[in-house]
Amino acid sequence: MKMTLKRSVGGFSALSLAFLVACGGNEENNNTTNVADPEDTNDNAAEETNNNAAGNEDNTEAEAEELLEDSTLVLAMGTDMVSWDIHDHGNTSTEAVHVNVFDYLFKRDSETMEVEPHLVADYENIEDDVWEFTLHDDIYFHNGDQMTAEDVKFTFDRVIEDDTLSEHSRFVQLGEIEVVDDLTVRMNTDGPQPSLLNRLAGTGASILPKEYIEENGMDHFLSEPIGSGPYEFDEWARDDRVVLTKFDDYFLGDDFTEWEEVVFRAIPETSTRVGELLTGNAHVVTDIPPNEWSRIDDNDGTRHINADSNREMLIITRQTEGVATSDPRVVEAIDLAIDNEAITEQVMQGSGTPTRTRVTPGNVGANEDLYDTFVYDQDRARELLAEAGYEDGLEITMQSPQGRYLMDSDIAEVIVGMLSEVGITVDLQFLEWSQFIEHYQNNTNEELMLLGLASSLFDAAQNLDHYTTTSPLNEGRMDYSNEEVDELFEAALVNMDPDEREQQYQRIQEILAEERPHIYLHSINMNYGVSDLVDYEPRQDELYYANEITRR
Amino acid sequence: MKRFLIQRFLQLIPVLIIMTFIVFSLVYVAGDPVALMLPEEATAEDVARVQESLGLNEPFHVQYGIFLMNAVQGDFGQSYRYNQDAMSIVLERLPATFELAAASMIFATLIAIPMGIWSATRRNTFIDLFITGSSVLGKAMPNFWLGIMFILILAVNTQLFPVSGRGTFMHVVLPAITLGTAVAAEMTRLTRSNMIEILQQDFVRTAKAKGVSNGIVTYKHSFRNALIPVVTIMALQTSTLVGGAIVTEQVFAWPGIGQLLVQAVNARDMAIVQAAVFLIAILVIVINLFADILYRLLDPRIKY
Repeated sequence: MKMTLKRSVGGFSALSLAFLVACGGNEENNNTTNVADPEDTNDNAAEETNNNAAGNEDNTEAEAEELLEDSTLVLAMGTDMVSWDIHDHGNTSTEAVHVNVFDYLFKRDSETMEVEPHLVADYENIEDDVWEFTLHDDIYFHNGDQMTAEDVKFTFDRVIEDDTLSEHSRFVQLGEIEVVDDLTVRMNTDGPQPSLLNRLAGTGASILPKEYIEENGMDHFLSEPIGSGPYEFDEWARDDRVVLTKFDDYFLGDDFTEWEEVVFRAIPETSTRVGELLTGNAHVVTDIPPNEWSRIDDNDGTRHINADSNREMLIITRQTEGVATSDPRVVEAIDLAIDNEAITEQVMQGSGTPTRTRVTPGNVGANEDLYDTFVYDQDRARELLAEAGYEDGLEITMQSPQGRYLMDSDIAEVIVGMLSEVGITVDLQFLEWSQFIEHYQNNTNEELMLLGLASSLFDAAQNLDHYTTTSPLNEGRMDYSNEEVDELFEAALVNMDPDEREQQYQRIQEILAEERPHIYLHSINMNYGVSDLVDYEPRQDELYYANEITRR
Repeated sequence: MKRFLIQRFLQLIPVLIIMTFIVFSLVYVAGDPVALMLPEEATAEDVARVQESLGLNEPFHVQYGIFLMNAVQGDFGQSYRYNQDAMSIVLERLPATFELAAASMIFATLIAIPMGIWSATRRNTFIDLFITGSSVLGKAMPNFWLGIMFILILAVNTQLFPVSGRGTFMHVVLPAITLGTAVAAEMTRLTRSNMIEILQQDFVRTAKAKGVSNGIVTYKHSFRNALIPVVTIMALQTSTLVGGAIVTEQVFAWPGIGQLLVQAVNARDMAIVQAAVFLIAILVIVINLFADILYRLLDPRIKY
């Protein structure tokens, strides 16, 4: 008895110690390489994985193939969805799951982002502010009920009438909705709405089942949602996984998607997410920072993809009278002092495109001349500062979030360095996101503020809403004012002539590129890790339509 | 004993009220959750509208009063983020949290108690140094790093265990070892020092003089006496495991209360924070109560 106990105790200790020692050694290595040379760490990690990957290649492939044989697609995201309430989440990773369960009247093309009819068989713009939409006659919700015009009216009335929903402000201008017949619905918009179809293809515009919700209540719907999309809800274990199964009566047919089951996993830690890809337990993983790219690329059977998004990094300038940045020469000097390409190539390692506009290709009204270009001339920047009376230097403050956007604090530090080269001393303030966003919303921003902005509408109307004199997004925050911008924006907002409207938006962008209420830095690319067993072209709107991911 | 239990339950009330007040004040001071709920392009008007609908425009004492009234009736309010009853969201997480805490505690106990005894009975030998050394190392290694290393070596490279998530028995092994390592280290050291102290006492020498075998002296006479402080530390550590597995849960994508709490704090989701802290506080108190009862079973001289 005594011997047995002794032995087992000895076994335990030997095992645990061997493990502790093995791990202890690694820590030291990792730390030193990190401090000495950040680039080295990548190489080391890559090498290590590569060596190990060779031995486990069969395993990885086997795991992933097994999943494929079961027709299960697994995506791993950094954050979980937050709710099944289509009108009250305000969050892309939630919408990314919703698009598989719910369906929209219109849908954006996966490559061009152009809006195309989806649930709608036919539509007509009867008058500037009257639209009529006719649904396909074979659309069914997951409980077997047919989708009718009543469902469409119910859905939009909900978000128009309830001002506590976070999507309310985006839909309130849809105006009055009438049911014409079983399949036809008429929208009497609040004035002409040239971007209506974009709105109907965007966040929160999917169609809810009226009868199901009225019979069972909203709370029941939120725990057991049904839609008319290609996938039915099966399970949601919060912060763990969402499981969807194929809907057999989907209106676009049984072969619309090849996956019987789709699993969205929430894995907050990046290296863990990548681990799931490398072991073949996930086919697509999202939000991969540069330090993980080589680990994915060097592994057999996985690759890293870099794709455009509709997010942009920019600096908000305060042009309130009396502030140094109200002088156009100062803001121009700041823009000229920043080498956008150095940021995208060195800091972001190619994961961004320099830009001088907020409306990038893929958005209605984009000015492509101002995309993939930047201005950089430090000598001219010094001259401009001297002209403005700051030949002895200028001191300003910049606020920056930390950890909110890809490499945000690195970008802020690099910019401070670049500005110091032309004689601008920046007091850089890093703020935790909840504090940062309060400064932003309370308009307590300083001369400069680094921010990332996204747009879900894919129409310049949303992107350029920041620059009119009376816009709540401008007044008190930038205090930028230009009469021509105001006039063009107001005109474009109700202009039903698409060509003329586009020109108006393009002209606004030219003015903004010169006057710089926002100093644009770059559009952010999104990075994904993808298994070689599937084909995947990421969408600019960052939504994950499971049917667009296919077996190789 | 009965009186003791009643007394302990009565003590709960002020503790919980004070705790809700502190948590409420901290979240209140941290700022406005509405700023975080709305998209970047939201206007001041949007913010004001949502604030009003959530009752956040009321002064502090009114907000707290309303919260307390509802909490007494078991209603911790709706989560801003999930639009659902906060307590039910927190309770959803309880099984995952318990599973991880229990597995870590079992792992830690299985390692720590034999190690502690072994090291105490072989005092100042190589084995003793080796065990004490490893426990210092075990305590010093951050969970975050340890978890990532486990994933890299045992899940990605050798594929012995799943990388992350919850499900089978294999899923809990790596997070439990990650979380249990520091606990095991602390318990080993404590068991060792208590054993050493007890082994030097008169009754041990008397037992040995009577001719009782070493094994019986160690495991029957000394160990039981050394257990009381160990039970205390087990209770304390279990409390920490229930509420504080945040980092481990994050690394292994383990859907427990810790992860929920961190996200709720980040989003200033008051209802979830309150419900989670409230539940954790109750668990801590109950676990400590169990420890008190255990003391008595271990040492009949203790009376309440």
